[in-house]
Amino acid sequence: MHTRLSFVAGATLLALLSLTSASWAETISFADAVTTLATDCGSDIKKHCKGLNLGEGKIQACIEKNAGKVSPTCTATLANVTASIKQRLAAQSSFAKVCEHDAAQYCSGVKGEGNLLSCLVKAKRVNERPCGQVITDAGWR
Amino acid sequence: MNKIRITAMLSAGLMLFAGNSLAQDLSDKQLVRTLGRVEGAAPAIDIAILVEEASASAGKGVASLPHWKELSKLSQLIVEIDFENDSVAIEPKSYRTVGLIADALHHPNLRRYKFLVVGHSSSTGEAQHNLTLSQKRADAITNALSTTFAIAQDRLYAVGVGQEWPLDPNNPKAADNRRVQLINLGLVR
Repeated sequence: MHTRLSFVAGATLLALLSLTSASWAETISFADAVTTLATDCGSDIKKHCKGLNLGEGKIQACIEKNAGKVSPTCTATLANVTASIKQRLAAQSSFAKVCEHDAAQYCSGVKGEGNLLSCLVKAKRVNERPCGQVITDAGWR
Repeated sequence: MNKIRITAMLSAGLMLFAGNSLAQDLSDKQLVRTLGRVEGAAPAIDIAILVEEASASAGKGVASLPHWKELSKLSQLIVEIDFENDSVAIEPKSYRTVGLIADALHHPNLRRYKFLVVGHSSSTGEAQHNLTLSQKRADAITNALSTTFAIAQDRLYAVGVGQEWPLDPNNPKAADNRRVQLINLGLVR
């Protein structure tokens, strides 16, 4: 029960931290996020979550359900990984909106999201602006 | 441990390298580049026909899969994703590969495209069982991509072909035949 509580507290703290720091924190790739999960939780997953897949939050639910049995490192990592994935998804989905103005100013007439991204990445002024930060957070440099 | 052996097979018209395939440590940038090379004349693929052909030809080999040959004309990669024995659970050591695919599929250069995940098995075990398991495993991969990594479901298709299309036809039991193909199917409408 105690472990469970501290896990919830830890997760809440992390969630708060990631909220307040969302604008400047380095985000990490999905690959790096789940690599950390595999490294820190791999043996717990094999032991307590046999047969469960990465999809539909099943691994997350299983680790949380077994919070008393899995290593504290794994519990902390799970919260971190979940937050990292959310953060990167948020940056990626905000790209169009945050970069709308810069796109019109520096890349007008450029068609296609991929081409637009290449144009914005090359525009020096954009890098110092929120759009530049979103591109970094989205992992698209 | 985190080193991932990935074989990139570039289809005929898009061949960049001399050999048929190359083993490499792949980054999401390389994935984006390889999968983003799309030819104008890429054939349209009917997934239902692929499934039908595969289920009608368990144990009969690649000769009874005429529509599957069309797939080789599309931009694609072969990746290795390991599963627990006889299970749909992806081994933690292969999470990274699934994450890499998610990174690539979210990139603006690829966000307009839909993708097919094809599961292959070796010929160890019974052909019908291999077919069913490879379909379930391909489903598990697209399921992880669409839920854990929020790739839109209408961009993802999964089929299993069991042991019918070995990478190494002279050695169908070899572990190398167990693999996952990731194929760019063209624009999402």
